[in-house]
Amino acid sequence: MKGEIVMKYKGWLLPPALRDFHEGRIWLKNHSPFSTADIDKAMKRNYLHIIEGIQMEPIIKCNRCHNIDPHLFTIFDCSKCQRQCSYCRHCIRMGRVSSCTQLMIWHGPKAIKKRMHSFKWAGQLTALQQLAANETLASVQTKRSHLIHAVCGAGKTELLFPAVNDALKRGLRICIATPRTDVVLELYPRFQQVFPETIIHALYGGVTQQNGYAQLVIATTHQLYRFESAFDVMIVDEADAFPYTIDETLQRAVTKAKKEEAPIVFVTATPSQKLLNAYQHESYSFIPKRFHNHPLPVPQFCALWGYNKSFKQGKIPKKLIKWTEERLERKEPFLIFFPTISLMHKAIPLFQLINEKILAVHAEDPERKEKVWMLRKNEVQGLLTTTILERGITISNVQVAVIGAESPIFTASALIQIAGRVGRNIQFPDGDVLFFHHGITTEMDEARAKILSYNKEGFSNE
Amino acid sequence: MNKIESNCLICSQLLKLTISWKMLLTKRYSPTICTGCTARFEQSQSATALYQYNEAMKDYLHQFKFLQDVALAKVFRQELYARFNKEEAIILPIPMHPFKQQERTFSHTDELLKAAHIPYVQLLEKTTTETQSSKNREQRIHVAPLFRLKADANVEHKDYFLFDDIKTTGTTLQHAADILLQAGAKNVQYFTLIEG
Repeated sequence: MKGEIVMKYKGWLLPPALRDFHEGRIWLKNHSPFSTADIDKAMKRNYLHIIEGIQMEPIIKCNRCHNIDPHLFTIFDCSKCQRQCSYCRHCIRMGRVSSCTQLMIWHGPKAIKKRMHSFKWAGQLTALQQLAANETLASVQTKRSHLIHAVCGAGKTELLFPAVNDALKRGLRICIATPRTDVVLELYPRFQQVFPETIIHALYGGVTQQNGYAQLVIATTHQLYRFESAFDVMIVDEADAFPYTIDETLQRAVTKAKKEEAPIVFVTATPSQKLLNAYQHESYSFIPKRFHNHPLPVPQFCALWGYNKSFKQGKIPKKLIKWTEERLERKEPFLIFFPTISLMHKAIPLFQLINEKILAVHAEDPERKEKVWMLRKNEVQGLLTTTILERGITISNVQVAVIGAESPIFTASALIQIAGRVGRNIQFPDGDVLFFHHGITTEMDEARAKILSYNKEGFSNE
Repeated sequence: MNKIESNCLICSQLLKLTISWKMLLTKRYSPTICTGCTARFEQSQSATALYQYNEAMKDYLHQFKFLQDVALAKVFRQELYARFNKEEAIILPIPMHPFKQQERTFSHTDELLKAAHIPYVQLLEKTTTETQSSKNREQRIHVAPLFRLKADANVEHKDYFLFDDIKTTGTTLQHAADILLQAGAKNVQYFTLIEG
């Protein structure tokens, strides 16, 4: 054609990957996975805003993790800026934030949100699950925060599917946060299976970078320090687990990672009184019954006087030997919970004398995952454990004993969670929950009373 | 800098502070880490180092140097103070290359001494940005001079005492000592926090 002009674009085009990564994140400038040239260009166009790492007024505050505890800041003579710098020790493992480091927030064009998502789930919700799912969906649609209180084994994950599906189709960004890495690892494959065409990222300490813009993020609450005003829907699973309840910065992280008007859905089997007070009379779903329609196993109390002394003398108390041998004889997998690591370490060699296929796990055990897997595959008979396995694990036909159930670490909610490990499988809906104790505490009574009341409520009409 | 730590700097556990006559009457720094974390460090048998390199030390150095947790300089202040406070020789921490120091935002050897309030001087300059830890043993021993004297350095005929965080082959310390001796130092000794 006449007058054809050949144009060559010499400017800079925003790499979509940069936008997809940085949208919703608050990130250290010198830790960006993209080249400095691209970052500088994006800054020049005001796509990336820079804020200072540590804010001094009105009080000292880390702008990434929102830590405000003055004990967790250290002042030093900085060789980079040649002045006195403060840095935050609270989130230091994510790369140090100090007064002279810069944090970047995305203000550029938004990532393209897909509205086409396939939803592949053939399962059927029970009537109670369906009711809770409908209530949750309605709450999320009207941007109202919601509490789902469902007993262990009620099928909490499934009832989230409708609300998540609806939000994805409306082009919203959703986060499922939980205090436990194990829960992230369990949820991720389940959601990926149900939403096969959706980009889902699983974020936890030590994970490698994942590509694309994730419309659904499944993350530990710790990882939320790295997000800001990112999510349209926030779901907090196991909202009462350690350390979420005692670490206020984690609770603040949930609030800052979501958009201001975004609703929060709390999901738990053992809500704190604070959560109940806040939501019980407004938007609250309660499922007192398991999905397989069998009552929750009720814990039994069994006195084990002076168990501490007994272990110290190198002996397992007789009642406990009897219980363990019964499990071994009947080839039932079992978990024995201990109040402290040191007591468990005293006990493990004694148990291994009975059967060498009994192992011990605790939080810092590098082989934790493998050991649980071995129990699942029947390669070991039983595990001694600390409270680390109190939630999130499902082992068919598992039997449970708690040693020293009177110890302060075994709160009512910890005991309810522990009891909730038993009878989750439809083929084995019942089993032993034994609280071996040196005196009965109110926490033990409360746990038992609550389980009885759930059963009463769940089966009152039948 | 002298605030009393309420929690262990390494594991964040609450510190139980017991006040003793010894603490009140002698100059002692309050502890910054708990007894459990202290027990994980292994004392060195060597007269020129405080500790033996082990898993706990590896974690400590990672958090101190790589994660840039300057606060950890205080962990060994009592032990370093006890070792250096009667020292009459002039103390010289091994310097970092200025670029490296800017990158890390602090010099770890300086900070260790500062935390224990030990006076020191700086006479040397690092000539290279390469790190010793990136080389193998052969490469470490046969290298060009790692240091030179600072422009305004005045080395007197006196005793000098070099201080570094860790000694593996000893090349770094040897290079620094050579420069000082050539410049007229009477005697050069060294001491490290950790024996590699």
